[in-house]
Amino acid sequence: MSATNQTGAAGAAGNQGGAGVAPSAEAHGAEAHGAKAHGAQSKTGAAKSGAPKAAGMPPVKKKFGALTVIFGIISIAYIYPILLVAINSFKKKAYISKYPFRLPDEKTFVGLDNYIGGIEKTNMIESFGWTLFITIGSVAVIILCTSMCAWYINRVKNAVTKTFYTLCLFSMIVPFQMVMFTLSKIANVLRLNNPWGIIIVYLGFGAGLSVFMFAGFVKSIPLEIEEAAMIDGCTPIQTFFQVVMPIMKPTMITVSILQTMWIWNDYLLPYLVLDLKKYKTVSISVQYLKGGYGSVDMGAMMGCLVLAIIPIIVFYLFCQKYIIEGVVAGAVKG
Amino acid sequence: MKKTKQLVALGLGIAMACAALAACGGGASTGTTAAPSTTAGAPAAPAAGETTAASAQAATSGGAGKVFYLNFKPEQADQWVALAKKYTQETGVQVDVITAASGTYAQTLKSEIAKSDPPTLFQVNGPVGLQDWKDYCYDLKGTKIYEALAGDEYALYNGSEVAGIAYVIETYGIIYNKKLLDEYFALPTASIKSIDQLDNFAALKTVADEIQANKDELGVEGAFGSTGMDSSSDWRFKTHLANLPIYYEYQAEGITSTPAIKGTYLDNYKQIFDLYITDSVCPPSMISSKTGEDAASEFALAECVFYQNGTWAYNDIKGNEVADEDLGMLPIYIGVAGEENQGLCTGSENFWCVNKKAKPEDVQATLDFLYWVISSDTGREALAKEMGFVTPFTTFTADYLPQNPLVLANDAYTKAGKKAVTWNFTTMPSEEWKNGVGNALLEYAQGTGTWDAVKTAFVDGWAKEYAAVNN
Amino acid sequence: MDKAIKRYFPVFMLPTLLAFVIGFIAPFILGVYLSFCKFTTINDATFVGLSNFAKIFEDATFGHALWFTALFTVVTVALINVLAFAVAMALTRKIQGANLYRTVFFMPNLIGGIVLGYIWQLLLNGILAHFERTLTYSSVYGFWGLVILLLWQQIGYMMVIYIAGIQNVPGELMEAAKIDGATSAQCLRHVTIPMIMPSVTICTFLTLTNGFKMFDQNLALTNGAPSDMSEMLALNIFNTFYSRSGYEGVGQAKAVVFFLLVAAIALIQTKITSSKEVQQ
Repeated sequence: MSATNQTGAAGAAGNQGGAGVAPSAEAHGAEAHGAKAHGAQSKTGAAKSGAPKAAGMPPVKKKFGALTVIFGIISIAYIYPILLVAINSFKKKAYISKYPFRLPDEKTFVGLDNYIGGIEKTNMIESFGWTLFITIGSVAVIILCTSMCAWYINRVKNAVTKTFYTLCLFSMIVPFQMVMFTLSKIANVLRLNNPWGIIIVYLGFGAGLSVFMFAGFVKSIPLEIEEAAMIDGCTPIQTFFQVVMPIMKPTMITVSILQTMWIWNDYLLPYLVLDLKKYKTVSISVQYLKGGYGSVDMGAMMGCLVLAIIPIIVFYLFCQKYIIEGVVAGAVKG
Repeated sequence: MKKTKQLVALGLGIAMACAALAACGGGASTGTTAAPSTTAGAPAAPAAGETTAASAQAATSGGAGKVFYLNFKPEQADQWVALAKKYTQETGVQVDVITAASGTYAQTLKSEIAKSDPPTLFQVNGPVGLQDWKDYCYDLKGTKIYEALAGDEYALYNGSEVAGIAYVIETYGIIYNKKLLDEYFALPTASIKSIDQLDNFAALKTVADEIQANKDELGVEGAFGSTGMDSSSDWRFKTHLANLPIYYEYQAEGITSTPAIKGTYLDNYKQIFDLYITDSVCPPSMISSKTGEDAASEFALAECVFYQNGTWAYNDIKGNEVADEDLGMLPIYIGVAGEENQGLCTGSENFWCVNKKAKPEDVQATLDFLYWVISSDTGREALAKEMGFVTPFTTFTADYLPQNPLVLANDAYTKAGKKAVTWNFTTMPSEEWKNGVGNALLEYAQGTGTWDAVKTAFVDGWAKEYAAVNN
Repeated sequence: MDKAIKRYFPVFMLPTLLAFVIGFIAPFILGVYLSFCKFTTINDATFVGLSNFAKIFEDATFGHALWFTALFTVVTVALINVLAFAVAMALTRKIQGANLYRTVFFMPNLIGGIVLGYIWQLLLNGILAHFERTLTYSSVYGFWGLVILLLWQQIGYMMVIYIAGIQNVPGELMEAAKIDGATSAQCLRHVTIPMIMPSVTICTFLTLTNGFKMFDQNLALTNGAPSDMSEMLALNIFNTFYSRSGYEGVGQAKAVVFFLLVAAIALIQTKITSSKEVQQ
């Protein structure tokens, strides 16, 4: 297992070389970046030639043909499910599951009632806030802690760090169901059943992937830069924050995107860990609507679905370049 | 391997210390909870950690207790939260209410009660549910709320202890639309001409068949609302409708519970279920995704005449196309001899239990809260008027009777001397049994299964689940 | 230098290590232990040996869920990869609006499984209603409903990975092949596909584990109905655990079996595909 993963790590570094060519990363640590590119495998060259295309359409003449039409149609079909929910969110609840494909008319149109009802029923705004808090908090903590940790285990090789690294790899293939009960119990005993505590849980359960990705990257950072900093009198902490961390930026973006996509949408972990009478996440709130002793309030459900989707789509449209690059870079996690 | 072990042991130890810090951090940043911060003794194992944390909390919080109610009835979820808020405003005592989604009460209770801040007030659905939770039930004998109970039949006993107290008496049957039914009676072709003739299964079937045949003329889409078998809603049939064959079997055998049901009246169960799915607004192949809400909206929009549900459905129906005075409720006739004297199904599957393992001050706070709920003006107003409950407490005087027309329908049957059908589904062996019956019913209705499978799930499933649960 | 850094163990290593112990190591070890126990909470666990594992085999729903999940995984891995690759090939050509399409196709990934499940429930039940059927009429509808949902969600994700892979194929290699007179089909088969084997490995791995471990979508779309016939492994384990009293141990034992299956699949799959990768 670990042997194949090593190959994957090399691949990750290579791909990040590609992502790093993206304009934004250029400003910081360009020097270090160059050093790294030399250190990395020749593969980076191939990645580099592909990168501009991935980052934005090249200025080549585009064809408008049958494919464009076909994909246009498919794209509309692709968005249709979301549109359908949005349309139904303005209809009176009794008409939603009965006539899902009809547009609202005078008789069935209810304005924003479903949204108001949905927000009241689920406390959606609050859930949204908690989800945001948990996601941002966890991702920030994961990025900080695991990057430091990955650097440490690469620079200090002893039994503890080696065991830890192996366990991290191991944890990546363990399904959540394996630990769901014991993890929620431990989290509860340790009073981690709140949005602050769940950050620690996410750090613990998400550490495997992040440490693995950072460690793969750290391997490609030449020791000389750090040694130079140390000789200049930097403590390891200063060295890390001033020298190593800027170099790691592309990987940090990748890791944070992967972790954000996971944590924002996660259902089971927060459902089992959080103290549900005080804190709910968006997914928990939506699932909570289904239930209600024989009544699924379809109106409120539609309203909440739209509310759950809109922010994430807006976020996506603004950051899609980083997200897609992050996914590509992170895909090599093995 | 040895190293791993050491590592783990070390890690566990430090983890505990770290957790104590995390607890402080959490408490400080919320500023709302007085988080215990004395757990830094770093116990060596999680099991020990649990007890230490709990006792430390007991020691530090002291004084005023808190109430945490794990509510069973989602229909009233919002009202309970509002009522809790009022109580907190009035007394300063913190009351949290959380409502479990349908079909997940046992599972939510299981996970909540194991937490360090467990519910102080929870519900069991009757003798069977009590078996799982009796170790947690505080003896309510001698409490004010017990004293206020109108009769001993509303208390749930565990030996000589009062483990639970019913707080709502409910009734179900076949809710019907009087206006539409009168239109049917007025049809020249109608075989049945008045509601008085509608007092047995044969008459019900005639009416339903003829309504179904004349549905366009009557402006409805079917006689019965959809038999929603979505897992959120199939309790109407796997539990409430299944009560009738069980009730008649218990009557015939002179028993009140059994380790093995015979299924003597299963043919009657089939008759009524067939009627529901045949004379319906929706074809049987679609009922797997239909919910109780769908059926309620069909009835509320006057698209069907009949709809099996209970007094609690009033909130879903009112304010639509069906006026209050047009609401009526019929007994569920299944074709048993002498059913002309059968009344509606009345009983309770909602018993309040106080968690004996909660902190003493929380138990006391819970008892105070409960008594406030049934005795204060605010509490009585909320229960009777807003939630529409008929309660078994003497504190609910004539001013606090609900305005629910479906409740009034029940009173009429009681006055006419009809014999109410008791709620025997509280003796069903387990949730698993109900699910088995529900699944078999659905498959039978769709035509993907047979009635024999329903029989098997009902009879064999009962014995099997009874054995599984009781040993 | 190592020594200098080593002293900073508490700063660099300790926080992650502690969290890892809390969030993974301790739960994992306890989880393995509990699979041999009868318990309702951790405190009251009593050792019962292998009886939990024996009970798994008495439980027909587990076998069905396993079969259902395996079939589902095979179907989705094949469909997602083929379609994602086809779309990636098309979008790497110079067609107008390729960027926009890529944006659209990727979008569903951002939406959580629970939300996706309810979106598709509305749409699919609406369509099936015309044929007087529903998603929960039989497991066949549930199965294909889940397949469609997962395709919709994941094609975009795999597509961007394939696009990156295709763009990394050196242009010279392609030109050389064309000069040698290779048709575009031959180019695809002998140049592109071997060169993007790393992407294939990754996508196969991701789709395999995503399919096998799927939970949220299953919970929201069908919740196992009818009669647990559309219940996948993860949901089966969850339901065994939380919906039946007295079966916690069996649920934990199922989770251990589940873990072993996932681990085995991951190992075998990486072995097989990575042996096919060409050195670039």
